[in-house]
Amino acid sequence: MNKLSFAALAFSLVMAGGAARADSVLILNSEEASYSILSRSTRTEIARLPVGREPHHLIITPDGKEVLIGSTATNELLGLDIKTGERKRVVKDIIDPYHLGFSPDGKWFVTAAYRLDHVDIFHADGFRLAGRIFIDGLPSHIAFDAESKTVFVTLQQSGRLAAFDLETQSLKWNMPVGNTPAGVVMLPDNKRLLVALTGEDGIAVVDPKDGAVQGRLQTGKGAHNFWPRGDGKQYFVSNRVEGTVSLIDTTGEMRVVGNIRIPGGPDCMDITPDGKELWVTQRFLRRVAIVDIEQLKVVASIHVGKSPHGVFMLQGTALLTDKPVRAASTASDRK
Amino acid sequence: MRELTDFWVDIQAWLFETIVSPVLFHFGLMAWYEPGYSAVEFLMLGVVQIAIIALGMRFFERRWPLEKSGPDDRLIRVDQVYTVLNKLGIVPLAIFIVTYPLVQHIELLVRTWGFAPPRLERILPWLGDNALASFLVYFFLYDFAAYWLHRAQHGFAWWWSLHSLHHSQRRMTVWTDDRNHVVDDLLINVALVLFSQVVGVQPGEYVMILMIGRLVESWSHANVDMSFGRLGERLLVGPRFHRLHHALSTPEERHIQDHNFAPVFPIWDILFGTAIYDGKHRPTGVDDAVVDADNGRGWLAQQVTVLGRLVRALVPGIRRSSMQPGLRPPAE
Repeated sequence: MNKLSFAALAFSLVMAGGAARADSVLILNSEEASYSILSRSTRTEIARLPVGREPHHLIITPDGKEVLIGSTATNELLGLDIKTGERKRVVKDIIDPYHLGFSPDGKWFVTAAYRLDHVDIFHADGFRLAGRIFIDGLPSHIAFDAESKTVFVTLQQSGRLAAFDLETQSLKWNMPVGNTPAGVVMLPDNKRLLVALTGEDGIAVVDPKDGAVQGRLQTGKGAHNFWPRGDGKQYFVSNRVEGTVSLIDTTGEMRVVGNIRIPGGPDCMDITPDGKELWVTQRFLRRVAIVDIEQLKVVASIHVGKSPHGVFMLQGTALLTDKPVRAASTASDRK
Repeated sequence: MRELTDFWVDIQAWLFETIVSPVLFHFGLMAWYEPGYSAVEFLMLGVVQIAIIALGMRFFERRWPLEKSGPDDRLIRVDQVYTVLNKLGIVPLAIFIVTYPLVQHIELLVRTWGFAPPRLERILPWLGDNALASFLVYFFLYDFAAYWLHRAQHGFAWWWSLHSLHHSQRRMTVWTDDRNHVVDDLLINVALVLFSQVVGVQPGEYVMILMIGRLVESWSHANVDMSFGRLGERLLVGPRFHRLHHALSTPEERHIQDHNFAPVFPIWDILFGTAIYDGKHRPTGVDDAVVDADNGRGWLAQQVTVLGRLVRALVPGIRRSSMQPGLRPPAE
């Protein structure tokens, strides 16, 4: 560890001991079995820590105290303290937790087993399996309705979107939506689902009642995932093939209001608590890009591990009790 | 190091985003998006390996050849074809397409049963703190598996019918390592991929193990009388050590090819009693006219002929005798 990275680490530890300013960011390095902890203020990677195998996505727990990382190839979840990043627990026997989420009422926990072709619905309390539904077509991303009655799952290979009743764990409908659907979100009005079509150049607007496609919006080739801006009236959409992130407005007639060029297969996103920066993982470049939301412009790009996927803003500053497993980056990584 | 990694990743991303990704998107093959990116890295590593062989290793062969140039030089050409087809991913791609569903099926079945391959770091936490140590431990394990697979190639008559193609070369050079039948490559690949998944080798580590391991193996086939010194040749397989494994058997040394099996680390031969360090120069090849005839054939003819040998070895009705030429493991 050289002087600069030591200074960055010391800075983080001091910050952790004092005011719990939200300064740390988690990045899941999916092909490296590790997660990176980055400092927002210094824009550096502070540490790289081990986690199972092939971590892809993460989710905050309903009590807001932990963030759960899905380690897909080791069939487990790693729980980290949402403020300090400390390891709290490992939840075993969650098979292939590729994408994961809690229903809005916190009662249900659902995972999409992407490679094993099934959707698991758990009672969130104690992670007790309520039902496993086998379904062909690479179940990919999930979203819930506001009433916590239905979970929606995209099926990447079959080009469909499926809806399951949470209480009975039964299929409600399974409808074609377009080529290679990935990210899916429910809009705040609870009447429209947005589905990103990675095999096409935009998104589909779907009726959650019956899965009918109501409309489409062109954003960019390889539309893949969403992240809400503010109250959810605007969404960022990552376009992996195009190498852009689009900002769309969902009020009135849906439209694209901005585009940001982000090379390297942009994927998952998160916004800093002050709402000023959008962080986007650049899967192919082993970097995470920082976008100034006001200017819609990339202002920095930071080195992380191989194939970075999930990104999450910790609500404090990481307390590094575990030793870093790899040398972290050093100086500010503007590019 | 960071600059070098950046340079590498930038080229990989540029090739993928400019050429591969638009093609996959156009033909609706987005399910191959992530594997496609890995394939670009494989191709780039192949180019680097060919450059190291052609520019680096060949320098030593030209400067200090063990066997001087002669009429058998023409036999080298087919090995160059093997190297290009393998290193540039053409043969590996075909193997990948065939084996991917099988490997996937086995892995997914095992995971459905609830078995998750453990990472060694769970058992040896200190490994997590040292990337180099972690890499070396996985490399050792990989090489251990490769050592026993290599022994199996010599131990079973049907497998020897394939592997004998590799040994048939009378003019062994840095190009010889890739001279294998595609079915032989396929079997070894499936076994090593499954083994790597069981012990928990990460995709990134696997690529590096493959890259470094294959370079060491290319060098160990070089037409030079070199080793890494008395201690070094007991740590890493070199040309002198491996040339003995390719030695032509004689009435005095009928089982000479049943030694020095290790692909990268000679420790396995030392531990299991198959190591010989005697420094003698021996001609290479196989003392079997049927196998030796591979030398006059091109790539396709070799593939077809050796496939015939495999069929004869597997189907009793076709096999005329268990000692039929071309089916006889050198151990017998």
